[in-house]
Amino acid sequence: MTTTQTSCPSFLELADYWTSDSAPADVERIEAHVFTCDSCARLLAEAEQLRTAIGDLARSGSVHALVTDAVLNQLARDGVRVRSYVLDPGETVHCAVWADDEVLVTRLRGDFANIASVDAEWRLGSGEEWGRASDLPVRKGASELVFALPASLVRNAPNVPIRLTLRATPAGSPGEKVLAEYVFDHEGALDRHSRDA
Amino acid sequence: MKSVATHSDELVVLRRERRQRLTPFASRRYVSRVTRPSIPLATRADGVLAREIAASEAGEAPAAETELYRRFAPRIRLYGLKHLSDRGAADDLAQQVMLVVITRLRAGEVRDPDQIGSFVLGTSRMMATGQRRGERRRAALHARFDAREEMVDGGSDVTLDSDRIAPCLAAIRERERTILLLTFYAEKSTHEIADALGTTPGAVRVSRHRALASMRDCIEARRAS
Repeated sequence: MTTTQTSCPSFLELADYWTSDSAPADVERIEAHVFTCDSCARLLAEAEQLRTAIGDLARSGSVHALVTDAVLNQLARDGVRVRSYVLDPGETVHCAVWADDEVLVTRLRGDFANIASVDAEWRLGSGEEWGRASDLPVRKGASELVFALPASLVRNAPNVPIRLTLRATPAGSPGEKVLAEYVFDHEGALDRHSRDA
Repeated sequence: MKSVATHSDELVVLRRERRQRLTPFASRRYVSRVTRPSIPLATRADGVLAREIAASEAGEAPAAETELYRRFAPRIRLYGLKHLSDRGAADDLAQQVMLVVITRLRAGEVRDPDQIGSFVLGTSRMMATGQRRGERRRAALHARFDAREEMVDGGSDVTLDSDRIAPCLAAIRERERTILLLTFYAEKSTHEIADALGTTPGAVRVSRHRALASMRDCIEARRAS
């Protein structure tokens, strides 16, 4: 049984240990503690498992998130099959996922000046809501937002047009306004046979 | 002079001065007698296990060695994952460090067995540095001879399955999910993430902590249900 005299770091401090820019002094302090404390060693392992599981989920193309090119580059390095669509405001794109696609990426171009965050809403042609995301961060000067969706999610979507509306409250503006709308004319899941037919 | 070390459920009386005057054989018998209380291995202090191994010849204390390995190999592996960034190398490090630790314990080269944790950490640091130097040498040779070597998959001991954490990752705020992906998948620094998202490093840290706390609560709740 390992025991220790120094105070135990919190789970969040132990999780910080696994970040790429953890301070050397913090790393040494945590290591010195963990090698003398059984329960913190287990907690550090738990934090590592969480980190690994997040990476594994991303690698399996199972994450629905706003991403950056850094994530897309990592997906490419990991050999994940990514299909991309680029849309300008008001544009309609005919889209589909293929049998071996793992992630669908949509690059939404627009004017995001004076915008710090946006809300997104996906609706089917019938008006029924298909998805929603709020408080999506927007970098100053950004000209596009990049969404990654699991291909499996899109594969199961109905074969109807899906309208995506971005809303935001610009700095100095009294209320929320529609920033842009994009339409995905979803043609379902395709494979070589369906294409030939 | 007596010194008394109290552990959670045991009392070990050490006569350090007397022990130092004993012959190696008598010392082993003496230490063995005072450090083998009839309590389960799992509840013995690290120092007690270390002294038991130190007092034994090779093969005489397999249970204590196994228990010490069970406790420290996972920590060395975590250390290796942090500093060597490769599961196979981390596994190798755990094996090599424990071999050195047990050998040096038996050789009487560990000055204070009660501080065995610090000794294991020091050995891990030293050997990881050696492994990194070896890696650099190998990389230089690869570059020189254009050699190719497939990475060996050291296997994964992840016990958090995707089915369990996927709903928890989906349940956190979008902004926090993006930060977790950039931190733990793209391995970006806090400053790089702040720059990419148009926020401050402090805000990134706060969001990451909030996300991790939510994830942990969610996973615990799903584990309990």
